[in-house]
Amino acid sequence: MHNTNHLPCDQILQTLVLFIDHELPSEQEYQSYLTHFQECQDCNEEMMHESTAISFLKELLQMNCNEQAPQELHDRILQQTEVLAGQSQVQFFSSTTVTNFSFDGTTSIQVTQEFTQEIRHDLTEGQ
Amino acid sequence: MGVALALMDMNQSEVAVVDRATESAAQKKARFERDALQFTNQLYAAAMRYTKDPHDAQDLVQDTYAKAFVAFHQFEPGTNLKAWLYRILTTTFINTYRKDQRRPQISDGELEDWQIYDAASHTSDQGRSAEDVALDGIVDLDVKAALAAMPEDFRMAVYLADVEGFSYKEIAEIVGVPSGTVMSRLHRGRKLLRASLAEYAKDRGFNRGIDA
Repeated sequence: MHNTNHLPCDQILQTLVLFIDHELPSEQEYQSYLTHFQECQDCNEEMMHESTAISFLKELLQMNCNEQAPQELHDRILQQTEVLAGQSQVQFFSSTTVTNFSFDGTTSIQVTQEFTQEIRHDLTEGQ
Repeated sequence: MGVALALMDMNQSEVAVVDRATESAAQKKARFERDALQFTNQLYAAAMRYTKDPHDAQDLVQDTYAKAFVAFHQFEPGTNLKAWLYRILTTTFINTYRKDQRRPQISDGELEDWQIYDAASHTSDQGRSAEDVALDGIVDLDVKAALAAMPEDFRMAVYLADVEGFSYKEIAEIVGVPSGTVMSRLHRGRKLLRASLAEYAKDRGFNRGIDA
């Protein structure tokens, strides 16, 4: 099934980065870009140039941004998880009962409120 | 045999359906340690880009894991855990670590009308700029310095897309801006980075072929 709608060069070039980043909204659209690149050498060259530059940039970034977390940090996080897991198991219950009387004092109702709360330490303190 | 069994166990635990309603605290903790803590190194590298300081980066990652643990019952198993952790990391950084810092901000209005690709015509070969110089001479420090010098919004977009491989949509959710904004920040960020890396290469005399 061949695509009959030809995309103009300026539209291709304005959205080139979407093609390169695989961010075009549909496979059909992707195919029509491919068709355009087969037919238009200038756009094809521009695409290859940009694509190479972005790949190279990615490679450079990935090679250089791969610090390993210090062992101390791994230890701190494990410890913190232990502490937090211990705290979240503690349940705290409380209830209050209020008795309301009618104006003439002949009827009364009791209202009991119950609270269930998980106790957690403020995460920002004690570091 | 032992290896095969171990692999099977691993696969089973990955496919296992988690019922968060009946999961015990110990099970939740085990699941957190197994699934979430494997991203510590990656989060640390990202935190280094965000904070530019090893101590702040450690604190940021630790805070991120504290919040992630407390909110872990909200995480939908089977969805993207790495993106979820990055969102906590990024939000924590934005809300806490940079709260008091003044920074060069790019106003949103400036970005809105911005075109994805500035030249809507073919670029002639003569028009190619210094950024196309071979960047072989670029070293570790240059890349980090060039990233660190970039406006924060651009730095985040480039890092999340080009190092972590997140999609525009994922970055939009992590950073909390529309996809279109991600796209323009990413494109401008890459351009800035390419230009400044080319500058470094030039200063170091690696750009044979551009000028004598």
